Amino acid sequence: MSRIATEVVGQKVLKENDRIALALRAKFQKQNILCLNLISSPGSGKTLLLESTLASLPAGDRVAVLTGDIQTDNDARRLARAGFPVKQITTAGACHLDARMVETALQGWNLKDIELLLIENVGNLVCPTSYDLGEAAKIVILSVTEGDDKPLKYPGIFYKADLMVLSKIDLAPHVPFDRTAAIANARSIHPDIEVLEVSALTGEGMEAWHRWLEQRRTARQSASA
Amino acid sequence: MHEMGIAQSVIEIVETQTSAHQGARVQVIGMRIGPFAGVDEASLTFCFDCLVAGTRLKSARLRIEQAERDELDVTFIEMEVP
Repeated sequence: MSRIATEVVGQKVLKENDRIALALRAKFQKQNILCLNLISSPGSGKTLLLESTLASLPAGDRVAVLTGDIQTDNDARRLARAGFPVKQITTAGACHLDARMVETALQGWNLKDIELLLIENVGNLVCPTSYDLGEAAKIVILSVTEGDDKPLKYPGIFYKADLMVLSKIDLAPHVPFDRTAAIANARSIHPDIEVLEVSALTGEGMEAWHRWLEQRRTARQSASA
Repeated sequence: MHEMGIAQSVIEIVETQTSAHQGARVQVIGMRIGPFAGVDEASLTFCFDCLVAGTRLKSARLRIEQAERDELDVTFIEMEVP
């Protein structure tokens, strides 16, 4: 005679991704690598921000970039022009990068040669939020050509990101984007989120962004000293 | 559509947990999903139902409870054991 049995599980669905991400995080910490996960909608300027950032770094700086897209290696080719190691992760359909993809992409690189690992996620404000890549921080990029209520519409990523970069501020005079509202909206989801405003095209605000990176890199180095 | 991947992960968890009860018929899979998990319930249910059709888990249905923040957990499995 059959009966109903209930088994208590209490398990995170993304346990497998989290397991790999945890191992990556431990590896990055051991090798003193600062890993940053850049997330945004398609077209908010992630690649140009990275291009501009890489161009400002000294030759020989121990920087590497992983860039994710569903198709093409266009971004990797743009970013490789700066002369630092860049790898394209082509997901062929997956709307986000996951820890396994990052783990695989890092094979063939000597982690001892890397001190800053920048990961440009697939353009998507929803899915990448769920997938830990072992990063030290998530950075969300929001352009002024998007709505200033984006943080309310997509709370997940604004909740998880350490930093919100408002991009394309050179276009601000031409669009109805309310920066005060955007920042207030982001802070209503995540009160401690840091905010920077930049134009990778004109260079405005980029110095503060470089300083933020520098501070995080120094903090990572001294944490292990 | 990453709810398909999430549904697949849920199925893998259930299969592992019920591997010791081969004759059992899984009826309910309890889940907790928070608003910041980045997972749409309707899409997840749709994908899950598609994936279990015609399999050992075909009678299983998700029972999703609203959770906090970015919780995304399988909490319990209810099955009929012979």
